[in-house]
Amino acid sequence: MKMFNMFFDIEKEEQWLNEQLQKGYRCTTISGLGIYTFEKTDNRYVMRLDYQDYLPKKKFKEYMAIYEDFGWSHIEGHRLGGRQYWQKEDDDQNEIFSDRQSMGNYYKRLMGYSFWLGMLCLFFSYSIYKDSGLYLTEGLWNMKGSLFWKALLFETPFVLLRSLPVLMVVFFGSSFYRAYRKYSLLKEK
Amino acid sequence: MKHKLLPLSETMHYILLALREPLHGYAVMQKIEQISNGTVSLAAGTLYGAIENLNKHGWIEPVGNSGRRKIYMITAEGNAILKMEQERLLHILSLYGRDDSNEDV
Repeated sequence: MKMFNMFFDIEKEEQWLNEQLQKGYRCTTISGLGIYTFEKTDNRYVMRLDYQDYLPKKKFKEYMAIYEDFGWSHIEGHRLGGRQYWQKEDDDQNEIFSDRQSMGNYYKRLMGYSFWLGMLCLFFSYSIYKDSGLYLTEGLWNMKGSLFWKALLFETPFVLLRSLPVLMVVFFGSSFYRAYRKYSLLKEK
Repeated sequence: MKHKLLPLSETMHYILLALREPLHGYAVMQKIEQISNGTVSLAAGTLYGAIENLNKHGWIEPVGNSGRRKIYMITAEGNAILKMEQERLLHILSLYGRDDSNEDV
């Protein structure tokens, strides 16, 4: 069974994958385009998502080896960085983090990720908008009547597309804030 | 200034104690489960991150491989940290025995 889904929030994704497991569907592969392949299973599994920045080859091997020793199988994830999808049969140790320090470090990695992608989008936005407004049609705001409305309606989809980087800045900003909130709760003594 | 890993967290403390003999990651977890009488059960990500961190600070070091697993052991610096923590904890323990604060220090 294949399903399409897009998650900006790693924790929502983890939750969704575990909901599918509760229904008896185990995720077997995930493609970069958001296509999840599931198979029916009678066993009980759990899924946990980790986030790692770029890891050199040796480090990534070690990372994989430790998780696999603990019974986790790597479903998806690249050593160049990003979400790491781990799956394991349900038993008495179903977590990948067992103390506050490592949980806090996980949110710190998520903060770093949102921060840099947000910055990148900010830079894109700046280079797109620095010489012009959002609407590019010359004299648009001086047009009258139906001509104005037609021109406005025609251009609006392009404007939405052009404002994507700004929306992404807002999005990464909010996910940075969410990770920061969780991080600071864990840091509190 | 105090090192950012001090005082040692329970996880870090147990890992340093376990690595007074050379062990690979999974064996560290098993050893800790045993010496903590089953009270501390480290998860994979926590163990990986802690080993990374301790290695980065030079308190443990890789001493070999067993297949694709890396074997670590405590360094002299790590032992010095344990000594410091032992003194700190012994002092705290000694306070448990006293019934009030008007003792000479």
